[in-house]
Amino acid sequence: MTIPDTWEPLTDLDPILTIAQDLFTTMVDGEPGHLYPWMGEEPTLDDARYTWVDVSGPVVTRVMLMAGRETGEHLTRALLAMGEDESVNDADFADAVGELANVVGGNVKSLVTNPGTLTLPVVTHEAPDMAGGTKLIETYFGWKGAPLGVALWALA
Amino acid sequence: MVDMKVVVADDSRVMRQIVIRTLRQAGYDWWEIEEAENGADALGKIRASKPDFVLSDWNMPEMTGIEVLRSLRGEGNETPFAFVTSEGSEAMRDQAEKAGALFLISKPFTADIFRDTIDPFIS
Repeated sequence: MTIPDTWEPLTDLDPILTIAQDLFTTMVDGEPGHLYPWMGEEPTLDDARYTWVDVSGPVVTRVMLMAGRETGEHLTRALLAMGEDESVNDADFADAVGELANVVGGNVKSLVTNPGTLTLPVVTHEAPDMAGGTKLIETYFGWKGAPLGVALWALA
Repeated sequence: MVDMKVVVADDSRVMRQIVIRTLRQAGYDWWEIEEAENGADALGKIRASKPDFVLSDWNMPEMTGIEVLRSLRGEGNETPFAFVTSEGSEAMRDQAEKAGALFLISKPFTADIFRDTIDPFIS
């Protein structure tokens, strides 16, 4: 699927859901059905971490994942095939959630005509300053009972 | 079975592990794999160890994957080279092909995708 020139069609959440579910089915869970749209009120993230990549171009587009630290540690263990009782260090955590953002960002970029380059992932404890930006999409999924957010921003 | 030396290049240790694990699941558990953690590291290891095949990420610090490939071809090094990358647009596939890559696998991937894509080139 190719979307011409504008992010506007991406306000339809279906492509994001498809990208995220493909990613979790193939590389996180090894089987479908574990990532699902979050139902109900917008969730609160416990000890939140923000991970993003930017797609450069006439408008810089930010693809950001949002998850609690504990959820990110579960994701890291799944990606590195670690045991549930193994501790997760900061480097592996940043690498794992960064790579998830990278894959989502790369796939989102592929939906747009004439995109620029994709930046390397950044992981922070505080939400980045998006002043002047426009939120195109923010949605949440459930994974292992915990919320996992995905947002797309057009930055000034 | 003949020896097969392969360089897997990705700046993400997590992704290198996933790529190597998926190669094993796809049946390439007999490959001798050397890891490279960025483009410049990959270029040095390819020059030094002369692998039979390179699987590289595209977007890496130091040198991107496409810069590594162009450097190799520019110095007459024809090591078979392919990409495993999060971006699978037609434009990138065209760039990869023109630079001399065998194929481009986009993330996320499965062992079946690896097998179906790689097997024709191995044979």
